[in-house]
Amino acid sequence: QNMLINTDGPSGRGELSSYSSRARQKLESLLNKNMRIRMTDGRTLVGLFLCTDRDCNVILGSAQEFLKSSDSFSQGEPRVLGLAMIPGHHVVSIEVESDSLVGTQGFGSSH
Amino acid sequence: MVMKSSVEDDDVGWGLGVPEKMRNNANWVDITHDFKEACKELSLGELLHDKLFGLFEAMSAIEMMDPKMDAGMIGNQVNRKVLSFEQAVKDGSIRVRDLSLPELIGIMDTCFCCLITWLEGHSLAQTVFTCLYVHNPDLIEDPALKAFALGILKVCDIAREKVNKAAVFEEEDFQAMTYGFKMANNVTDLRVTGMLKDVEEELQRRVKSTRSRQGEQRNPGVELEHQQWIALFSRIKFTRLLLTALIAFTKKETSSVSEAQKLMQQAADLLPALHSSIEHGIQYQNDTTKGDQPIMMGFEPLVNQRLLPPTFPRYAKILKREEMVNYFSKLIDRIKTVCEVINTTNLHGILDFFCEFSEQSPCVLSRSLLQTTFLIDNKKVFGTQPMQDMIKDALRYFVSPPVLSSKCCLHNNHQAKDYIDSFVTHCSRPFCSLIQIHGHNRARQRDKLGHILEEFATLQDEAEKVDAALHSLLMKLEPQRQHLACLGTWILYHNLRIMIQYLLSGFELELYSMHEYYYIYWYLSEFLYAWLMSTLSRADSSQVAEERLLEEQQKGRSSKKTKKKKKGQGARPLSREITMSQAYQNMCAGMYKTMIALDMDRKVRKPQFELDSEQVRYEHRFAPFNSVVTPPPVHYIQFKEMSDLKKYSPPPKSADLYMAASKHFQQAKLILENVPTPDPEVNRILKVAKPNIVVMKLLAGGHKETKVLPEFDFSAHKYFPVVRII
Repeated sequence: QNMLINTDGPSGRGELSSYSSRARQKLESLLNKNMRIRMTDGRTLVGLFLCTDRDCNVILGSAQEFLKSSDSFSQGEPRVLGLAMIPGHHVVSIEVESDSLVGTQGFGSSH
Repeated sequence: MVMKSSVEDDDVGWGLGVPEKMRNNANWVDITHDFKEACKELSLGELLHDKLFGLFEAMSAIEMMDPKMDAGMIGNQVNRKVLSFEQAVKDGSIRVRDLSLPELIGIMDTCFCCLITWLEGHSLAQTVFTCLYVHNPDLIEDPALKAFALGILKVCDIAREKVNKAAVFEEEDFQAMTYGFKMANNVTDLRVTGMLKDVEEELQRRVKSTRSRQGEQRNPGVELEHQQWIALFSRIKFTRLLLTALIAFTKKETSSVSEAQKLMQQAADLLPALHSSIEHGIQYQNDTTKGDQPIMMGFEPLVNQRLLPPTFPRYAKILKREEMVNYFSKLIDRIKTVCEVINTTNLHGILDFFCEFSEQSPCVLSRSLLQTTFLIDNKKVFGTQPMQDMIKDALRYFVSPPVLSSKCCLHNNHQAKDYIDSFVTHCSRPFCSLIQIHGHNRARQRDKLGHILEEFATLQDEAEKVDAALHSLLMKLEPQRQHLACLGTWILYHNLRIMIQYLLSGFELELYSMHEYYYIYWYLSEFLYAWLMSTLSRADSSQVAEERLLEEQQKGRSSKKTKKKKKGQGARPLSREITMSQAYQNMCAGMYKTMIALDMDRKVRKPQFELDSEQVRYEHRFAPFNSVVTPPPVHYIQFKEMSDLKKYSPPPKSADLYMAASKHFQQAKLILENVPTPDPEVNRILKVAKPNIVVMKLLAGGHKETKVLPEFDFSAHKYFPVVRII
């Protein structure tokens, strides 16, 4: 199967439905923003959102790992990982900073 | 929490300067549902990413939740709680006082095993620092364990410093990173050896008080206790001796090297006691309620998991206790050998020492100790002699150049002095590099030897120019003397040594395929050794010429003196080396002819693919020689011409070649059997030469009927195989 690298902006894909292109736009607007992902084993990674795919596998840059702790993340030193990939089926939750959502449509309204 | 020191230059990118907002103050919004839905709109195989981020970068990401790549996962896979030292002390799961003798013995032995595992190339975080007690010895109340923990930390610190300083390691040899651990730097070395000595003395009293008395019936309980006190005493003493020896190596005086040697011998004397008492130590505990792997009391293999760099997790298998004493015994032998180097005073002798030491593939610690003993603080040899003086001595010993002779007028000539001093100064760095190269592990050494040929080619050039200049000076002042190719001969000698070592080590490292043996051995026997022989004999003649001149100058002073000199003429300084080179040359010639003959009989498997080219392989094997001017590299076409058998009429058949090979092995055997004081190397070569004489005769006599290919057995000698036909 070829890997279609989406190097153009959304303008290069006019033939697709506007819903798809809006979905891509939403995702693209999050690129290089801080993201916090909780994994199935309770650990949390915080890093820059760099890449994702259909199965929701996510690559974070300058990622830091925080261990599970009962209260906040102020406990425990984070472990610096660098470039890390979280397989989609191990993603429990994805969060971004509220500032990252300013000006974009669609994401983030309280769920 | 591991105690971190404030400044640690080892830490590489450890989250220093992480923006505060990354932690917890930002206002995080959950977008899980929307994100996942949006992803579903992507096509199969489509990646959504920034244009500066591509597949190449994506490929290097570590995959979380994959045990091969995710070092942080393992903490969640065990059922026990992974506690730091301080946490464990607080919650009572580790004791810092009232430890029993078996517990102390077991902990110390496991620590020794961790130390060895670290010295063999694993990280501190996965070895020594899995012992919780060394994280903070101040919290330990048991005096023996406290002193021991401090001792181990000091040993690690000094070892690490030595290895770093010597710089003869690569990542496969040693992990220098300390992860911010405190290495007992709030206590002096002397204090720690003092503490160990105090504990030792107390333990000696215990040993005495529990020993058997005449006429008394031996209580088995007391006897056991007695053995255990001895065991503990031996371990503390061993630690103290090891530490004191390492401290001696940090001193600048050469006398401390002899001291270190004595201490190492004393440590070796304790090894039998250590070995017989291993059984007294407690074993790894199998906590069946939790189902985890057995853990040793006082150790937590996962305590530093989060400090490990985000490369894929490397699991350090700690050495078994049964092998501990054997390792220490060999390590002590190596260190004692290292101490011998101060007894060699000439440069060539030192080079030979380094080469021989390297041949046993010694550990990184002993290699490093040898380097730092040789060049103390990288300035003077053994801390006393400048390298330039050693080089001048080497020149005198090898080729007796007139300019360095006190009896030559050039000795006081300003210009001549300038020439020679400048040349010798330029030689310092390459020779120091050469000695450092011999301190690396065997594989890296070969590579670096290839590279240093460039520097030596430059030296060769300079040597020729200086020789010419000195010669023209000398012609004007002392016409009966000459200074042709003196320095040049010496540099050429070293060039050839390096080239020969480079090619021979390829056999040791098993780099060559069978079908390449013939040109490697050809290059050695017909070319490099031929050059070496002529270089050595030229050096010898130069020495003889100089000696004769001195004799003539001394004629009339005392007839006794000249008589003495004539007697001493028997064993010339270079004669052994000439003899050994002849032997090596014959061995190589024998192998070269054997391979050609085997090839004629179609007994050599050759590569059979379309784009194969022997020329490309050949050029690759000899590529480092292209920077050498003398001897000029032999290119493939030239090699083919020079080795073409068709120039003989009639051209030899395989039987002729086998016989010729047999004669070469025979010649080598004769030469070696006449060596006055045979060393192990002579015997090793003989172990190969003798059977090969026979095998070649068999092959010549028509043993060709077998279809089975010959085998090459390098077990007797790593450069010359015994040829076996089945």
